[in-house]
Amino acid sequence: MNSLERIAAAAAFRKPDRVPVIGQVFGHAGTLAKVPVDEYVRDGETLARCQLEALDRYGYDAVFSVMDVSVETEAAGSILHYRRNQYPVVDRYVLEDDVDLAALVVPDPEHHGRMPEMLKALRILGCELGDEVLVVGCVVGPFTLTTQLLGTERALFMAVDDFPRLERVMDYATQVIIRFGEAQVRAGAHVPLVFDPSASPAVIPPRLFREFELPRLRRVFAAFAAAGAMSNWLHIAGPVKPILPFYPQAGVGIANFDYCVTPTEAQTQLQATCLAGNIKPLAFVDSTPAAISASAHELLQAFGDRGGFILSSGCEIPPESRPENVAAMVRAVGGGR
Amino acid sequence: MKPAVLMTAILEGDSAEAVLQAHLLTAAGVGAEQIIVEAIEPAMLRLDKKCTAEDFDLLEIMLSGRAVTEVMKVLYPSGAPASSDKGTVVIATPEGDVHDLGKGIFKMVLAGSGYRVVDCGKDCPLDRLIDVVDTERPLAVGVSGLLTTITPQVRKIKGMLADRGLQHVRVLAGGAALKQSSASALNVDFIGESAFDGIHYLNGLVRAER
Repeated sequence: MNSLERIAAAAAFRKPDRVPVIGQVFGHAGTLAKVPVDEYVRDGETLARCQLEALDRYGYDAVFSVMDVSVETEAAGSILHYRRNQYPVVDRYVLEDDVDLAALVVPDPEHHGRMPEMLKALRILGCELGDEVLVVGCVVGPFTLTTQLLGTERALFMAVDDFPRLERVMDYATQVIIRFGEAQVRAGAHVPLVFDPSASPAVIPPRLFREFELPRLRRVFAAFAAAGAMSNWLHIAGPVKPILPFYPQAGVGIANFDYCVTPTEAQTQLQATCLAGNIKPLAFVDSTPAAISASAHELLQAFGDRGGFILSSGCEIPPESRPENVAAMVRAVGGGR
Repeated sequence: MKPAVLMTAILEGDSAEAVLQAHLLTAAGVGAEQIIVEAIEPAMLRLDKKCTAEDFDLLEIMLSGRAVTEVMKVLYPSGAPASSDKGTVVIATPEGDVHDLGKGIFKMVLAGSGYRVVDCGKDCPLDRLIDVVDTERPLAVGVSGLLTTITPQVRKIKGMLADRGLQHVRVLAGGAALKQSSASALNVDFIGESAFDGIHYLNGLVRAER
């Protein structure tokens, strides 16, 4: 089996030749190539080259065209602050001054902000890897983009103070996401990962997730499936146990779970969903290969009989991680170069 | 005029009602300290018990926090009180991280729990943080962050405090990145899972000092 077949098998609960392993390596790929993170997230060609070098080094089963969580909001008009070797952050939210929502256009992925660079990276990765390795794109989730358009605090208060306006912003966000994700599939992404950190119960209560995020995630995943995505991958970090039961309703095929959810909890809630996780991200920075290996083997044991499992980290492997720790995770499944 | 009505308004996150009740109480001659002790602190206590790890609701905490902030403006129109029985806490998001939602929550909960708060803001250089600690002589320093890249900075804080003879000032950490670590690995005195965890720790310090 090649990497893509291996992941497809795991996603479908068929038996792969070995457990697939995905390093959630984004800025870390730049760090390995001595490319500062702020350069890595601005140039599609550089991003793709770094991803291919990291794949060559680690030998895991997926590569990512992932920049940061501000790509969509920048394309919509927010102003970002770029600093040396860091992910950019929003300096001015496009909707922070009660801007008329009707004045916003849905960004064209081929022309606005860094979206074209992400598509360029996907085209290069697709061309280089074909259907050998999973090529993953990325969009943020509807509520995450909403917080990136308004600011998190403002978005949360709006849920109480002016819910109709929040819904309008979320509907706009959903349009942006669908258009961008569809373009990613056309550019060569097998899966556009939906990264939705602001939808975590650490930020919004589960009742609001059900009320305003779930229906929009359903629309996003239905659109991606219709566009030809191999599976629907939802990535929400943090204490997600209370919202796991909603994932099947959203159409999630692969669910990431973070270190604060146990394998048993995740398996119990999502019996027919492929799970990816959940080694603690910080462990890749401050732990040892032996400890990473031990964590990985515990996970492999926990999922041994079930299948439907991809060994991974709970969230992004931090840019400053120790390469030997990432390699240890890959070796745990018998992979690697 | 009953502080209990104000407490209910805070718990319901009803800022307008909370402000109205605060005005009514002050007009009736109830002092700011009494309002804090009889309305705001009990509200924070109830919120603490309600928002468990299993039933966490950031929005509810933020709404109550917003109500507390508005009430404090009524009680202290010229700004935060110059001192507090419980003591001062200096808070910051260290340089390299601008995600300060967690710090904002901690600030609201600290103020509502009777602490004086000095907020050094986000993306705060350590030198500035230590200067503020030197000036304010607080009970503790609280740092939070979303990015793992700030952990090396957090590890330095205790050493920098000791260099200024401030080794008695406790260091608390919280936030998605920092709480993945342990207090010993991060070289801090305490890591809180939530803002209320931090309050429990500080209240323990205050009790021990009395």
